[in-house]
Parts: sequence; C-alpha cells; structure tokens
Amino acid sequence: MTGNFIERPRWTCALGGALAAVGNLPQTVPILHSGPGCAGNFAWTNNGSLGLNVTGPCLGLNVPATNIQEKEVVFGGLDRLREEIENALSIMDGQLYFVLTGCLPEVIGDDVEALISEFSAQKIPIISASPAGFKGDSYYGYEEVLKTLIRSYIRPTQARATRLVNVWGLAPGVDPFWRGNLDGIRELLSLLDLKSNFFFGPDSDLTSLAKASRAAKNIVVSGLYGLTAAKLFQEKFGVDYVQAPLPIGASASERFLKIVGRALKIPGRKVNRAISNAGRRHYVYLEPIIDVFNDMEAQRHVLIVGDANYALALSDFFAQDLGWLPELVAVVNDLSPDSQKNLLDWQTKTGGTVPGKLIFENRLSEISKAALEIWPNSGAKYFNSKKPVFVAGSSLERELAKSLGAAHLSLTYPISNRAVLTRGYTGYSGGLNLTEDAVSAVISER
Amino acid sequence: MSYLDSLIPPIREHRHPETALAHGSTRLGHGQRRNTCAVLAQAERSFTQGSICPLLPALGIMTSLPETVVLLHGAVGCGSCAAGNNVNIRAGNTARGRASKDAVWLSTALNEINVINGGEEKLTQAIIEAESLYHPKAILAVSGCLPGVIGDDIDGVAARIQEQVTAKILPVHCEGFKSRFMATAYDVVYHAVGRHLMPAKAVGPKDPKLINVMNVGSMGLTDEKEITRILGELGLRTNFFPVFSHPESFADSTRAAMSISICPTHDDYFLNHLSEKYGVPYIIRHMPIGIKNTGQWIADIGLKMGLGSKAENLIKKEEEELLAALDEFKPLFKDKSAFVSAGEYRSLATALLLRELGFKVLGIRSFHFDSFAEVELDKLETGADFVFNVANVQPFEEANLLKKLKPDIFLGHWHGNSTAARLGIPTQVIYNSGYAYMGYQGAYDLARRLHRRLANPSFYQRLAGYARLPYREQWYDKDPFSFIRESV
Repeated sequence: MTGNFIERPRWTCALGGALAAVGNLPQTVPILHSGPGCAGNFAWTNNGSLGLNVTGPCLGLNVPATNIQEKEVVFGGLDRLREEIENALSIMDGQLYFVLTGCLPEVIGDDVEALISEFSAQKIPIISASPAGFKGDSYYGYEEVLKTLIRSYIRPTQARATRLVNVWGLAPGVDPFWRGNLDGIRELLSLLDLKSNFFFGPDSDLTSLAKASRAAKNIVVSGLYGLTAAKLFQEKFGVDYVQAPLPIGASASERFLKIVGRALKIPGRKVNRAISNAGRRHYVYLEPIIDVFNDMEAQRHVLIVGDANYALALSDFFAQDLGWLPELVAVVNDLSPDSQKNLLDWQTKTGGTVPGKLIFENRLSEISKAALEIWPNSGAKYFNSKKPVFVAGSSLERELAKSLGAAHLSLTYPISNRAVLTRGYTGYSGGLNLTEDAVSAVISER
Repeated sequence: MSYLDSLIPPIREHRHPETALAHGSTRLGHGQRRNTCAVLAQAERSFTQGSICPLLPALGIMTSLPETVVLLHGAVGCGSCAAGNNVNIRAGNTARGRASKDAVWLSTALNEINVINGGEEKLTQAIIEAESLYHPKAILAVSGCLPGVIGDDIDGVAARIQEQVTAKILPVHCEGFKSRFMATAYDVVYHAVGRHLMPAKAVGPKDPKLINVMNVGSMGLTDEKEITRILGELGLRTNFFPVFSHPESFADSTRAAMSISICPTHDDYFLNHLSEKYGVPYIIRHMPIGIKNTGQWIADIGLKMGLGSKAENLIKKEEEELLAALDEFKPLFKDKSAFVSAGEYRSLATALLLRELGFKVLGIRSFHFDSFAEVELDKLETGADFVFNVANVQPFEEANLLKKLKPDIFLGHWHGNSTAARLGIPTQVIYNSGYAYMGYQGAYDLARRLHRRLANPSFYQRLAGYARLPYREQWYDKDPFSFIRESV
C-alpha cells in the first residue's frame, strides 16, 4: 500500500476513536479540547459508518468541547479549557471526566496535564489523553484511552480474582458490532466459568474498572489492537496477557477456548467438554437448514475487505465453518512489511487459514484491480469463473459486488446500510448470526 | 476589488460583523433585539458542547459534484464525515436517475512527520495520483485545521501543479478554527467555484426565461421539482446550483435573466459576484418555506420579471387549493405547541409555517443570527411571544428549555432531534435532503408528516421512560442562558 492519500478512509482519526471509547465508558463525561468541528464531524461520520449508531448520552453533539478558535491558536487554549472543565463539572452528570486533546492544542503545545493537576482537589477524578488526529487512526485513539485508564484510573492491588479476565481489542464505536461481539466473547468465557471485565458497554461499571488490576489475565482478541495497552498493564500491575484471534463462529471459538484454557491453566478435559457441549448445541440450530443449503448450492467464492481484526477472522469463518472459498482478502490497515508478516505468522500459528490471495490495501480502486485478476471477463467456452461470488466487506464494496454479480453483506466499517443493535458475530451464537445473515443475503430474491 | 480576487475568502466575522452565535431571551421583544444587535455579535458561551465547523456543510456541497474528487488535506479524521454525506449523495444520484454511486473523497492523512516538515509535497503528489487514478474534471484540495496551523500553502501548491494536471484544481479553505460560523462554508465553496469554474465573461446568449436558483444541501430533488413546477407556471425555467452541479455547468449561470436565493444567509457572496461580474441581477429575501413566505418569494420574482399579475393569480390559486387540502390535518394541530431548531433562516421560516398550520410556537433556536434574518423575525412579531435562542446546536440549553416549555412536537435539524426524543417529545426532522419542505407541496407534505407523527407518539413516550440525558438535575432549575456572556 503506497501513495500519498487514503481513499475513502475506513476509520476516523485517533480523537474519534478515543471519543467513541470514552463516550461508552460508564458514567464518564468526555471533554474535547479541539477545533470547533470535531464532534460534529464524528457524529456525521458515524451516520454513514456505524450501522446507524451515532449518539449516546454524552456522544454526538452532547459532548462538552472547547471549540477553539484563532484566538486560542495564537494565545493558547488553556484558559478556555479551564473554564470549560469548571462548567462541565457543574452541569454534566458524571463520575469520571476525561479530557481528550485534538490536533490544534497538540500543535500549539497546550500543557493539559498541568492544567488538570489544578483540579486535583476535586472529589471526582479528571484524567486526560492526547489522541491528536495526526498521531493515528481510531484504533490508536482507543489504545490511548486504555493506556490513560491504566496510568491514571485503575488502582494497583495485591488481590487476585482467579476467574476474572479483562478483554481488550474490540474498540467501541469503531467496530460496528462491538456490543454484540463483547456479548459473544462473554458467552465463550462463561463456558470456562470465567468472568469478563470489558470496561465499556451496557454491563460495565467504574468500580469494576478501577479494580481491573485484580484480574488473572488480560485477553486481547486481536492480532493488532490492544497490545501496547496490554503490555503497559503487565508492566504496571504484573498481570500478563494472552492474544487470540477474534473468535467468529464455531471453529474459531474452539481455538479461542483452547488458547484461553491453556493460558489460564484450565484442565484440558474441562475445555474439551465445554467445546463438545457447545458444538452439539450449535449444530442443533444449524442442522435444519442443511437440506436447502445443500440443494441451492449455497457454497460461494468469497471476497473479503476489512481491518486486521475482521478480514482474516471472516476468512477463517467462511473457510472453516461454511466450507466456502476465500479467494481474495484485502486487509485495509496501513502496515509496515514487518507488521504484515507478523500478522500473517500469527494467523497461521493460531490455527487460522490462508486465503487464496491476501493483499494489504485500502483503495477500492486497487482492490477492484486485484479482483479483476481473479474474476476476469472471459468469453472462453471452458473457463473456471470462480463464481458465484459473495462479497463480505463494507458498504463501499457494493458497486464492486454488483460488477461481479455477487451477493453483498456489510460486515466491516463503514456500514451505512444496516441497523446494528445487538448483532454480533463472535462466539458460537455469532457464527449462527453470520450464517443467517450471509445466507439471507444470498437468497434475498428467493 | 472583489473578494474573489484574493486567494483566501473572507470569514463571516469580517464580511458580516453583526453575525451572532450566542443569544437567549425568554421574551422576544422587538426593541430589545434591535438595541442589542451589536452586543449579540460579541456574545459567547463559557460552556460549550461540540459543534460543526465550516468544513462539514462545505463537504455536503463538494461531495455532491459529479466527476469531482474531494481531496481533504488534514489529519485522517478531518472530513471523515464525508461518509455521512455520502448517504445523501447516493440517494441524490439515484433520485436524479444517475447510478447510485459513492462520492470520491480522499485524505492526505497528515501524520506527525508531516506536521513537523510540512504537508505541501504530500498534497502535490496526492493531486497527481488522484488525477491519474480517477481522471476527474475537478479536484477540490480542501484545507482542514492542520495545514492552517503548520502553514501549508494550498493555493501555492494548486498554482504550481495546475499545468501538469488536466483537472481543474480548486483550493478550498476550510480551516475550522478560523470562523465561528458554519455559514462561512458557503462562501468558501463559492469562492473556489467563482475563481476556478466560472468563465472570464458571461457566456451567451442570455436566456430571458432562465432563473438561477441557489439550492442548499438540505433540499433534495423533491423540493427542486416543486420550485421548478411553481416557476414553470410563470413560464420560467430553473438552473439549480451548486449542489449536484457538474463542475462544467456553473458557467451556465451567467446566461440567466436573474438569480434568486433559497436561503438568504447562504448566498449573498456569489449572488453579488454574478451581478457585478456578469450582470445577472438577483433577489435575496424570503425563503419558500411556509404558505405566505412562498407567496412572497414568488411575488418578488414576478415583480422583477415583469410577471406581477401572473404571479398574484398563481399565488391566489395555489393558496386556495392548499388551504382546502390542509383542513384534514388542522383539527389535530389546534392547541398543539411546537418548538423549532435549525439553521437561521430555516428555523424562522418553519416557525411561520407552523403558525399557519395552527400550532402555537413556544420557542425558536437558530444556529446563528445575522442581518439577513431580521425580516423573518419581523414577520413573527405579530403573533404570540416565544423564546428565541441563538445557538450553534448546544443541546444543553435546548434540554433546559424543553423541560420548561414542554412542547407537543419538536422540529429539528439533521442530527439535532435526539435531545427532544429522549425527553419523550415526538420529533420531525426539518433538514434532510430528499424530503419535501418547500413551496406549497412542501407545506402540505410537512403537515401530513406532522400529523402522522402526532398520531402515534408512543416510540418517544416509551423512550423517555428509560433514556438518559447527560446533565445534572440541578441544571434544569437554572436559567437556560446562564452560560451566555452577552459581551466580552
């Protein structure tokens, strides 16, 4: 992936990722210290990207923000921020205030940490991170939030909760299915009698977050995201981590349970029993569609476009669970050759499959060229067309899918054409959801 | 010298120093408003919530232009809202019988190294790559906040590279921190259009029946069809721009007999330019939302085009027909109260329409306020008093007002309805392209949708039982305008 621009970026900036994370922390008030359009920009971005999820009590245009102008750019923005924090404390209802600094204050050099220390006598904690937009993408912002929580909010403890794990790597408001995906992972961990602490989402609370250092292990469900935070956590609290691929569907769930079981020294017999029970139940749901699934030749060649969390996990699901054929997988992250290699090594090491062709590319124009090599226009009498095709990507791949005569399902960011509430694709139940959604997309004209 | 001779367009603060962003009065009071006009412009809030900068509405226009690439020069998130604009672009293309295509927007995604070393080289290369990959007619090189702070010269880059590139390169200045008013967005786009897509002199021959109508991002094809229908009754044809206009079609505007604004606060910059440089006269008064408003808008055109009596007859006929049709809805609207919040002109014009439909208007919020809207506020002074709040969204003030006023229905801008909804008030969006709002047909259709909304508000009532707003309970006991400093 080279070039001097990104085509229709499949993420927003670090500040956007950080705001989505903080806005989904329980009882937490984000305060943006940034230019005047950032909050509106993120709201409108979500409108076209996140399965219709835009607002939250303290998201969208509800978030306190300094909206700094030329005056602050010239003279500094700290006076404005001080006033904003003071007033936010009086009007916004929260148990934690989280200042997020954007591009402008970062470039002009506002010392936000020093300002916040002025408020240290406050009963309610105020913490801050600097996920300026030019420092990285949404996921970088998510990790900066985790790191701030580790440095400034989570308290050290000697106590250990041997059945408790923290789960990282699924970014709220960045992964369109994050809530459903967390539910799927909770369900998997409960099969091993483990309790999970997610920090974010409807079932989290600040008390558990502050006591996260008593966890037995951190589980990072990603080959890329959440790792630097997990390392910092280990350094600070002595709790180590285990990394597992995003467990989409039954095969990946089995691998996930084995990886987690090993890391937590859960007896193999117990893990195997859990896998066998869950698998049996899973196929009770799946079996009834076998007749039609077979007879309609539902098997598809697959084109997948998604980020490092999703692209390979989806490829594994289609290959291992449905027996479909992933022909082309595009990972949209801008990764160095070393990071690309690490990700692939990790994929095979954790029992994943390698698709027909794998590219690291986020320009749809380039992805389309790669697709044309696999699916050329041929008038030959005998020709392996590798059709029919199923496209598992973002909403942006609809035109490409149409040109391939393929069914299309929006599964990766950005998603403009689905409403996402509880939907998730992790765990056994997520595999059933994905089978339902993919097959339904294939037969929508039936 | 015209503003368009300078590389960088003026901001609204300079061109219209009376423009205000923060004001709240629990009583309207004619005298009070007039006397405090100068003070209003200086007012600020000591607590603010996130808002919208000129880049956002500017992108709504820019991404709609066919065969055009929007190249955002900034951090990767700056302008990522194009993903949201794209929803409207797809729908707008489909409505116009074009393929449902995604807009093309790109980001130079400035990183830490670029911030230190400057981003001009990256922008230059990005323009060359965009040209070879997409072969567009125009490339809009749009500056976000970062280039403005690190000192990238996008005009210099565009001038240096233009010779190597077939597409017209339009530098567009959207550094969000430079203007408090999103209305600056229209000026910066028109500035770029005026400097790069317009001919040296008027293209001939003049078309005495052609009227330039400056559309707005919020009016979809439905509204354009209604305006075309109305002007067609007068024997006139419409030339809509800038939204969804092909970059090569802007020159057509110089052939028109006259221009008229749909939303006066948007358009004076370009209307003046068309008049001064190409001799196209214009009208900038009234918005065709509301029954009387639409009539006044038509009557002005009639007068200017020498079609006065024809226009009067048309207005009379249309009003009779519409009023009869509205009878079906009016019994439900009687004694119902409404609150309206949107762009400056739109909120005031819609309030007039609400009164015409029989609602009692309890409050109006305008995203800004300037001299263009004085006339609209004047029209409202004869009826019952109402709260007037100037706010660039700021939902905390809105929540406070709504708790006190308890309207039966709330009409709000795109992305501006969730506070009211959480309070259990049924909401009606009044800025979403594709829906009918304008002219007589728009008045009828909005009434029809309001009736539908009021017919079953259970979604909102149940929502209010569980949904949460982020404010402390004490906030609702305070004056909603506590954080406005009227002078600084």
